[in-house]
Amino acid sequence: MPDQLLQQLADGLLIGLMYSLIAIGLTLIWGVMNIVNFAHGEFLMLGMFTSFWLFTLYGIDPIFSIPICFVSMFIMGMLIYRFIVSKVMKGPILAQLVVTFGVSIFISNLAVYFWTPDFRLLPSTILHGTWQIGGIALSIPKVAASVGSVIASGCMFFFLQRTRTGKAILATEMDREAALLMGINTERINSLSFGIGTALVGVAGAFLSTYYYVYPQVGGLFGTIAFCVVALGGFGSIEGAFIAGILVGLAQTLGGFFFDPSYKYAIVFMIYLITIWIKPQGLMGW
Amino acid sequence: MVTHINFTIRRIIAGIAILLLFIVFPLVVRQPFHVHVMILVFMFGMLGVAWNIMGGYAGMFSFGQAAFFGIGAYTSSYLSIAYGVNPWIGLVAGGCAASLVAAAIGYPCSNLRGHYFAIASIAFAEIVRIVFNNWQMVGAAEGLSLPMQNESFANFLFNSSKLPYYYIMLALLLVSLAVCYFIATSKMGYYFRAIKESHKIAEVLGVNVVLYRLMAIMISAFLSAMAGTFYAQYILYIDPGSVMLLATSIQIVLIAMLGGAGSIMGPVIGAAILIPASEYTRVALGYKGTGVDMLIYGLLITLISMYYPEGVWKLFSRIGRKLT
Amino acid sequence: MASKNCTRVLFITVSLLLILVFSVSAQSQQKVIKIGAVYPLTGNIASTGLDCKRGVDLAVDIINGKYDLDLPLAKSAGLPNLGGAKIEIVYADTKGDAKNGMSEAERLITSEKVVAMIGAYQSAVTKTASQMTERLKIPYVCSDSSSPTLTERGFRYFFRVSPHDDIFARDQFQFLKDLEKKTGQAVHNVAVLYENTEFGSNAGKAYRKYAAEFGYKVVADITYPASATDVTSEVGKLIVSKPDVLMHASYITDAILFTRTFKEMGFQPKGIMTMAGYIEPGYLAAVKADGNYIIVRSTFALDLAKKKPLVAKVNELFRKKYGIDMSENAARSFMAPFVLAEAINRAKSTAPEAIVKALQDTNIPGNQTIYPWEGIKFDPQSHQNIYARGTLVQILNQEYVTIWPFDSASKQVVWPFPAWEGRK
Repeated sequence: MPDQLLQQLADGLLIGLMYSLIAIGLTLIWGVMNIVNFAHGEFLMLGMFTSFWLFTLYGIDPIFSIPICFVSMFIMGMLIYRFIVSKVMKGPILAQLVVTFGVSIFISNLAVYFWTPDFRLLPSTILHGTWQIGGIALSIPKVAASVGSVIASGCMFFFLQRTRTGKAILATEMDREAALLMGINTERINSLSFGIGTALVGVAGAFLSTYYYVYPQVGGLFGTIAFCVVALGGFGSIEGAFIAGILVGLAQTLGGFFFDPSYKYAIVFMIYLITIWIKPQGLMGW
Repeated sequence: MVTHINFTIRRIIAGIAILLLFIVFPLVVRQPFHVHVMILVFMFGMLGVAWNIMGGYAGMFSFGQAAFFGIGAYTSSYLSIAYGVNPWIGLVAGGCAASLVAAAIGYPCSNLRGHYFAIASIAFAEIVRIVFNNWQMVGAAEGLSLPMQNESFANFLFNSSKLPYYYIMLALLLVSLAVCYFIATSKMGYYFRAIKESHKIAEVLGVNVVLYRLMAIMISAFLSAMAGTFYAQYILYIDPGSVMLLATSIQIVLIAMLGGAGSIMGPVIGAAILIPASEYTRVALGYKGTGVDMLIYGLLITLISMYYPEGVWKLFSRIGRKLT
Repeated sequence: MASKNCTRVLFITVSLLLILVFSVSAQSQQKVIKIGAVYPLTGNIASTGLDCKRGVDLAVDIINGKYDLDLPLAKSAGLPNLGGAKIEIVYADTKGDAKNGMSEAERLITSEKVVAMIGAYQSAVTKTASQMTERLKIPYVCSDSSSPTLTERGFRYFFRVSPHDDIFARDQFQFLKDLEKKTGQAVHNVAVLYENTEFGSNAGKAYRKYAAEFGYKVVADITYPASATDVTSEVGKLIVSKPDVLMHASYITDAILFTRTFKEMGFQPKGIMTMAGYIEPGYLAAVKADGNYIIVRSTFALDLAKKKPLVAKVNELFRKKYGIDMSENAARSFMAPFVLAEAINRAKSTAPEAIVKALQDTNIPGNQTIYPWEGIKFDPQSHQNIYARGTLVQILNQEYVTIWPFDSASKQVVWPFPAWEGRK
């Protein structure tokens, strides 16, 4: 039993870090533009498919396709911002919510059209198998994803706190009008943030494709959980999303193990509700 | 003054004309599928109006309306199956049950704003769905099948024709529109709009924010639940996967928003556009399995929200004004 | 200016929609026998729906054409008793939604004037669709939905060709008893794992019922959401319960995820016996060698060809048409058009009542089917095919091999489940 407890803790941490990685892109977009990007799950799916096709058609292992994923998703994010999202930024909030939703339906069905609804799994990639450490089994792809998540979060944190552009993004997050007055080109910041946010989730997709099955609707549940994670952490806060992701992963795994797996997501959502009742801005939001 | 009265009278006449059109529609168009689509339009129109009371007027964007819809369906169905309670009583009972749940969840959420409230509504709706999916008493994942009894108005069951369902749903829609109109033109509506603008200002004005937020949620839940009971009596089979889906909640928001949140008729217009769009594209294109029908749907939603962010209602009222 | 353009776009879209509406309303005037088919052709379960469609389409090819096969109506083109009239399947996409099952069934009957219905794979959708056909008095022949409740409703117009999950569950326990008798390897406790929609929970119920009947102890009873992001808690609970055998009812998505997680966490029971998801074509394509040694219930396996050459011939046609081997889903859906066509032919009429009467007398011998059954004959009360039964296949070398009943097995079952490590 103690063996299994450690196993569940470890696995909760691993899945949690994946949630974190998915969430930090979302929280950036949310914080800067006050948009809930409903298409986030579909961008995850695109990242997964990019990695899948690069491997299947060109034999590029996901580890090496990560930079390609990052760049291609970054460009796609900026284009979607420029041509679609920016048009609704000045309108009512609802329009912004709905436009990303329309984009999500469009993208997932475009994937069905081109790639069929079949499920695909990447065969053994460079990182595969399990580490047996101290009586517990750690899936190597998941560990790699977790390391990636920590690195990505660390880089984002550093980027936002230490670089000029990063600080400009933070300033826009905190107070848009003040940022404008300070001479920050908020339009460019928006575009950049959307691009980075999309790129990050694309990278998450590349990692996820090493151990989860790939298909057009895969974005659904991951997307919903990501929203919870972001709101739990406090929108706009990278640290918040990181910690919240881990918490959600642990809640899901431990809740499922000790209580009942059929309720595990209900437990996650309950924890979100309770936290938000106590601290309405999320764990680390302002 | 004279032109103003003329304008109002013209609008009323236009409204009555459209209503007559709806009443005559199923008598002229005999194919049941089109009548079915209209029934769905009315049902989602009602759900959209219910959402609007909470979201468009009081500013609480709920993405969990399907939970109330489902609670209504389950309450009336369970009472009917287990205790033989008449579905019309079940209709009201479902509404009450949903309102109580709404109050229970609405109270702790009463200081949540904007996106946090939206996510909380998703969390709440998913919890409800998961609970119902595992609750043996109401059939868990298998759902509830309503027995095919003798058809009659009293039994809220009709086998030979869709027409009674059509008119009942139309009547329910009119009831919800009346409720919305009453709220919009009353002090309550004024308070709702104040709350939507800013909680602080509303409080300063002396509005009991918590109370009115709760009222908005409860009324919205009650109406949604009634639509749920209708659905149960119409389809005769419910399970969490069909009445409590997140996708349904999102569809309701889309309908209200694209039609025009904050206007009375907006959600009805939204339903009149989106429901036929998804039904007819599925019929015409879905069977190939290529997803083209949903592509068109997604494109439509994206375009409308980009070019008509206030909702298509504005376009219609402009056209209406030009015509009259 | 921009708004004028937008108005134009909106106008065009609305016109397109109106055109679609009218095209839907138009009725076709050809002289064919139309049969409606409701399947999930888009949405989450589309790959399965499309798989079923492949089986149906091949069946229609065979019925309408001249083939030297020992299947009903294969040797003649079309239906001979109706002047060679051909079958036409009119498909409707349910998107996996129960209310679409109802409305599409209605539309197919009232607008497209189909004389019978097949489908819908998902039992919840079959439920509502068949409620509508019962209301409108149209025969419904189902060969791919496995919920036992479908034939417990006392419906007059609903017939089921294939076995249901109750039968499959009982088979799996019978296998354990047979195994003990044959090899002396005893099993004492089982773990029951199932996804939490209607299919899974009914399977779970059946598992519990037969475990009690056959005298096995259920040490774990776990249910989970099919499209879960991660299943470590479920597998963790399985490991601590230490079962001899795992019985798992799943769809393809959870089958893939669980297989991976079993391997990762080293879940090592003596046997893994499964339903549905593990026999979908996408499963082995995804997990490859990790699927080896898992046992699945099946109504169809390619190695039946050894005892029944008909199976090999049909599979060859399937391969020619689609480039892949026939899967279990396609094989199940394959039979419904034959049963209907045979009944319509015998009735010499397309009137629904005549078809129903003919179906009640249906008696197709087993050697005219591609399954290991004695035949197709419907119980007078429940309209369930009394000869429908399953077999068990085991995945060996990434192929499905029949291992039970032992007298129709093509290979001996590999038992217990070999260790994950040290496998090639």
